[in-house]
Amino acid sequence: MSDHQLADWRTHALKLESEVNKVVVGQQTPIRLITTAIFARGHVLLEGDVGVGKTTLLRAFTRGIGGGYQRIEGTIDLMPNDLVYHTYLGEDGRPHVSPGPLLSQGKNLSVFFFNEINRARPQVHSLLLRVMAERTLSAFNTEHEFPHMLVFADRNQVEKEETFEIPSAARDRFMMEIPIFVPSDENIMESLIFDTRFHNVDKLVEQVSQDVLQFDQLNSFAEVIQQTVQASATLRRYALDLWLATKNPAKYGIQIQGVDINRLVVAGASPRGMAMMMRAARVNAWLNGRDAVVPEDIHAVFYETIAHRLVFSPVYEMRRTEIARELLSKIINAISAP
Amino acid sequence: MNFTKPFMILLLIGMLIVSFFLGFSATTHAEELEDAPKNPNPPVYIVDINPVRDVGYHVGDVLNRTVTLKVEKPYKLLQTSLPLTGTEKKYRGKDQGVEVRSAVLEVSDDSKFNIYKLELSYQVFTSSVVTKPSQLPPELVKFGGNGRVFQVRIPSWPFRISPLAVYGAVKIERDMSQFRGPLLLDAKNNQYTLWALLTLLALSLIGLVYILGSRTWLPRMGGPFAKAYRDLRKKKASDSSVKESITRLHHAFNVTNNGSVFTADSFIVAHPKFAPIKNEIAQFFVLSRWAFFDTESNHGITGDPQTWLRKFSRRCRDCERGLA
Repeated sequence: MSDHQLADWRTHALKLESEVNKVVVGQQTPIRLITTAIFARGHVLLEGDVGVGKTTLLRAFTRGIGGGYQRIEGTIDLMPNDLVYHTYLGEDGRPHVSPGPLLSQGKNLSVFFFNEINRARPQVHSLLLRVMAERTLSAFNTEHEFPHMLVFADRNQVEKEETFEIPSAARDRFMMEIPIFVPSDENIMESLIFDTRFHNVDKLVEQVSQDVLQFDQLNSFAEVIQQTVQASATLRRYALDLWLATKNPAKYGIQIQGVDINRLVVAGASPRGMAMMMRAARVNAWLNGRDAVVPEDIHAVFYETIAHRLVFSPVYEMRRTEIARELLSKIINAISAP
Repeated sequence: MNFTKPFMILLLIGMLIVSFFLGFSATTHAEELEDAPKNPNPPVYIVDINPVRDVGYHVGDVLNRTVTLKVEKPYKLLQTSLPLTGTEKKYRGKDQGVEVRSAVLEVSDDSKFNIYKLELSYQVFTSSVVTKPSQLPPELVKFGGNGRVFQVRIPSWPFRISPLAVYGAVKIERDMSQFRGPLLLDAKNNQYTLWALLTLLALSLIGLVYILGSRTWLPRMGGPFAKAYRDLRKKKASDSSVKESITRLHHAFNVTNNGSVFTADSFIVAHPKFAPIKNEIAQFFVLSRWAFFDTESNHGITGDPQTWLRKFSRRCRDCERGLA
C-alpha cells in the first residue's frame, strides 16, 4: 500500500474523530484512543460515572464506522442465549426462534455495543470471552464468524448493587479500558447544561456522518499499519523494560505511598496485553504521521491498554484505579529510553 | 760616558745638601714642641650623637643629642654648670629660637675615668619664610678636681630650620635640594583604580575559569550536564559516538529531572532555568528520535551531529550553572 493510501486512510480517521468531537465535546483524548482502538482492531471498554456520555460516545463512533450494529443492555437476568437467539410465539401460534443480537447481522456485524456490561452475569461474560477473542460463535450446529466485529462496552464503578465484577480474563480481551471524566472546562460544562442539542441523544448522534470508514476494509488496513510502522531495537528494549516493570515494580525502584510494593502486583501485564499495547502504539504513530513508533506513542496508550490487565492483591483491589494510575505513571517515569 | 760621570757626582752633592737642611728643620720643630707651655688640665674626651637629619625642622620640633664626656679621676663634672632648662642662647646678639628643653645627666665610671652621659633636648621656637640656618648651641661645662676648676666646650651642631609653607611661585626645576628627595605625585586615586581593576580582573578570571572549567571544585560544577559535557569532549565523531553522546545526555536529563524525560516541554516546566535553550532541547529530542527510533526522519541539524551535541551539552551545563 502506498504512502498516498496511508495518508488517505489517515484523513478518514481524522474526519471520524472530528465528527465525533462535534457531538461529544471535551473528550478529545478518549476519542483519539477509541479511534486508535478501531484501527488496531481492539475492543473497547469505557469506564466512568453515570451520565458522563459513555453511551453517546460509543453510539457516535458506531454510526461513523458503518456496517452492522447491534446493542444489548446488561441486566442481572440477562443470559448468554439472549445474545444468540430469542424465542417467541408467532402469529401462527407456534414457537419460533430468531437470531439474537450477535447473529442477526451475520458477517457484517461491525459493532456490538454492550451497555452496562457489569450488570450482566459471569455466564454472559464467559460467552463474550470467546466472541471477543476469536470473533466466532457456535450456535445451531454452525460456526458463525464476525470478522469485522468490535465490542464496545461501558460500565460504571459507582453502583455496586446488582453488578458483577468483570473477571480479569474477560478484561484482558479488551484492548483498552478508557476512563471518561466530566470535562473540566467550565464553558463546556455550561453548554452541556443549557445547549439543548445535547439533551436529545438520538438527534445528537444523527449529526455524525454515517459510514465515514469502510468497515469491511478495516481489518486489512489494520494489518498494513502494523507492517508499515516500524519499531526500532531501542524501542523494543524500552517496551520490554516497561513490561518487566509491571511484573516487578520494586526491582525498578518504584515506591507508592501506603502500598507494600512487593505485595502489590499478583500478575503484571500479559503478553497479549503488551502486544495490544504495541498495536495501539503503532496506530498512534500512524495517526501522527510517522512510520516508526517512538516512546511517546507508547505513553499515549500505556495506561489505557495496561491498567485493566494488572492483577493486584485483594487488599489493594478497592483502590485499583488510583493505584494503577500511580504505578503506571511511576513506571513511565522510571524507565528511560534510551 | 765622560759626560755622565761629573753629572752624577753633582747630583749626589745636591741631595746631601737638601737632606742636611731638612734634618735641621725637624730638630728645630721638636725643640719648639718641648718648649711650648704644658696644659695643666687633664684631657676631656667628648663623643656626641646628634640627630640624623640636619634639615627640615619646623617650629615646635624637638631635637635630641647625647654627649658623653670622659675625664680622668679624680676630676668630676660640676653639675651646676649644666645647661638650664628654658634658657635660649643668642647668636650674634640675636635670639636663636632654640631653647633647652631638658638636660639629664647620667654618671658612671671605670678604673681610670669618670664618665658622664648628658642627654640634651632642645625645642625650636622660631620660624621663617625661607630656610634659616641655626644650631644646637655650644655648651660650656665645668670640671673640678685636684683643687682646680676648668671648663670644656661641647661643640655646637648646625642645622636648618625650614619654613612651614612655601611662599610665592615655586619652580620645581630650581628646587633641586638633595635633602628633599624627588617630589611624588599623589597616586592614591590611581592606586584605588588599579586595585579595583585588579579585583575586577581577578573576578573575571574566576568567572572565566568557572565557565570554562570542567572540574568539580567549585559549587554547582559537578552537575549531571557538567559531567556529560566532560564525557562528550573526549568523544570523536562517529555514528556510534553520536548514539553514545545522546544516551549520555539523556542520562543527564533523567538525573536532573529525577525521572525519565521525553519532551522538552515537560522538562522546561519542571526546570525553568533551562528555558533559554528550549528550542535546542526540542532539537535534541528530534535528534534522539532520529538516532534511536526513526532513522528515516530528518534530524534537522546542519553539520556534524557530534559537534552539535558537544555545543548543546555545554549550553545545558551553562544553564545548569545559571549562566545562560
